[in-house]
Amino acid sequence: MMPRLNALWRKETLALLRDRHGLAALFLMPVIFILVMTMALHDAFMPGAAIDVGYAIVDLDNSPHSQSLIRRLNKAGSFRHVASVDSPDTARQAIRDGRYALVLVLPKGFGERLLAPAGVDGQPTEPLGLLVDPTLNPALQLAFRTQTSAALGTLRADELTRKAGKLFGLPVAANAPDREWPDEIVTVAVQNERSIRPPSSVQQNVPAWLVFAMFFVVIPISAILIVERQQGTLSRLAAMGLPFRLVLLGKLLPFFIVNQIQAMLMVGVGMFVVPLFGGEALVMPQGIGLLHWWLVSMAVSLAAVACALLVASLARTTQQATIIGGVGNILMGAIGGIMVPKFMMPATMQALAEFSPMAWGLQGFHTVMLRHGGFAAILPALLQLLAFAVAALAAAVWLNHRQSA
Amino acid sequence: MLRIEGVSFAYRDVDTPALDGVTLDIPAGGVYGLLGPNGAGKTTLISILAGLQTATGGSIAFNGRPLAEARAAEPRAIALVPQDYAFYPMLTVAENLDFFGGALGLDRAGRKTQIESAIAFARLEQVIHKPAEQLSGGLRRRLNLAIGLLGRPQLLLLDEPTVGVDPQSRHFLLDAIAGLPASGTTVIYTSHYMEEVEAICQRVAIIDRGTVLTEGALDTLLRCEESVVELELGCELPAELASRHAAIAEGCLKYRLKLASPAALPRLLDDLTAAGCAVQQLKVGRENLEHLFMRLTKRSLRD
Repeated sequence: MMPRLNALWRKETLALLRDRHGLAALFLMPVIFILVMTMALHDAFMPGAAIDVGYAIVDLDNSPHSQSLIRRLNKAGSFRHVASVDSPDTARQAIRDGRYALVLVLPKGFGERLLAPAGVDGQPTEPLGLLVDPTLNPALQLAFRTQTSAALGTLRADELTRKAGKLFGLPVAANAPDREWPDEIVTVAVQNERSIRPPSSVQQNVPAWLVFAMFFVVIPISAILIVERQQGTLSRLAAMGLPFRLVLLGKLLPFFIVNQIQAMLMVGVGMFVVPLFGGEALVMPQGIGLLHWWLVSMAVSLAAVACALLVASLARTTQQATIIGGVGNILMGAIGGIMVPKFMMPATMQALAEFSPMAWGLQGFHTVMLRHGGFAAILPALLQLLAFAVAALAAAVWLNHRQSA
Repeated sequence: MLRIEGVSFAYRDVDTPALDGVTLDIPAGGVYGLLGPNGAGKTTLISILAGLQTATGGSIAFNGRPLAEARAAEPRAIALVPQDYAFYPMLTVAENLDFFGGALGLDRAGRKTQIESAIAFARLEQVIHKPAEQLSGGLRRRLNLAIGLLGRPQLLLLDEPTVGVDPQSRHFLLDAIAGLPASGTTVIYTSHYMEEVEAICQRVAIIDRGTVLTEGALDTLLRCEESVVELELGCELPAELASRHAAIAEGCLKYRLKLASPAALPRLLDDLTAAGCAVQQLKVGRENLEHLFMRLTKRSLRD
């Protein structure tokens, strides 16, 4: 059996090395994806990163309270105060012209009604107005509203304290400076021995596009297998007494090695190339963690090669394989958190992601890299990937047997 | 060597069987022609012999043992050379031979010997380092054949091995194939080129619609109609003579006539002379394989 397997491995390696387009797709494409996506999403993944969205203010109240609110908003720093506008109508026109994305309107009487419950004097309290460019990301709209609410909350608290002091005859200066509210009151910090935090751009993109690239072996594998079938080479090998499962095994090792080279290359890009472009360097686990990382990489590779062999057995032509494999990969990537991180997805999509082998692989990598999980923690992902690989290989052998019959 | 007895085969979801009780006895040595129109069942029979399909009925014995058992015991005893160029275009000739030698399970030393022998046989010395995709049609056919010979098979199944090659390559291939029995390889040869089969086969079987129409030594099959005459004349055959001898015009003033008996030939020649029709060429007593084939399989078009 070994001389036959050696011959198959040698042949696959030679065929692969001579397929320059296939090699480019396997190695160059994910490198480019990693660089582009890591840099493009750099700020999106940065906790507390400055958001480059400006806002304008229409201060119809022009009171010390409205000025205080504006100061507090400016101090928060996430959004840039770019201008003050005279009237809501001017602000609306400015939004239509695309000059501002957000305009906060402080109504007249804002300061007077700061602590008054709605309608207590028979007059309804006019709410703060927020004019928004409809193309602005809804998450950013929500973030600005939250920031405004937080600033309003601290303003009310200060005002309440001042009034209470006055009531009890405590000396409080009318123009006392705004108090600094410690961040701990308004943010929740998750802390434990090893800090757990959402992935950074490089930590999301390197494993994500690595998983994606590994599954892209579907294109060269299916192309070779389909050409072998069409040209009668598979029949010739079968006539030589070479079982189809051995032919599949012959493809498994070379492409498994290709996947591991991809892994090393992608990690290298994350560690050494991304920082050259101003991104954060990829931090790899150390010691036993590195072994766990490699176990995940091996399991992803087995699943990817098995998936490719199944696609090659399903498709009749290379065109079909390219469509089934290419579109299938993109779909698996889209629902599996490769293109859009899973934590950014709505609950239904996150549930759907559980059906994507790419999500299992990415989950495994994140468990090792971000949660510092041990073998027990990555075991579910490993088992899912291996079960998928076995099922796909069995289906490929069965399909081939059925087609031969 | 090969005894095929009542072999049947039906493809899934197809009502008509591809093979229906085929019985053939193929002796060791020689080149055995397997003929039939498209869809006759030749490729199915070859696939069964190559182990790619399993007969649904009947039995096949190879060297006295059931085929599956014989193949398991001697996997290299039967080799297939498919009609397609069944090798890897991106690999060189040497790499292809090395791969298929390895796929046959030959060890390094055995592989080296067999590859050298196959290269010499197919005269591929000048192109061993050339990628197969850069070879001409004739060289590709030679490489295809060389791969089939790597395991020194006792039985070689050749499926239309001369399709798409120039006359020089065809002659080379036919000479090479005709020489194989001398080195201990029996050949089963399928082709649509009747003159090739006539040139290199000692025995033939004509099959159609999954059944054997005729089988036997080529000489015997072609000699069986001694009252058939082939004429090439200097003028058109007179209508009265054409009617009397059920003549078939074959173009260019060539005719096939059927005589009531061999003794009727002198009278026919006298009649032609009397009609002022010169006889350019005359063949008596040996039927052309193509005529035999057409007569047995009828002239209706196949797919």
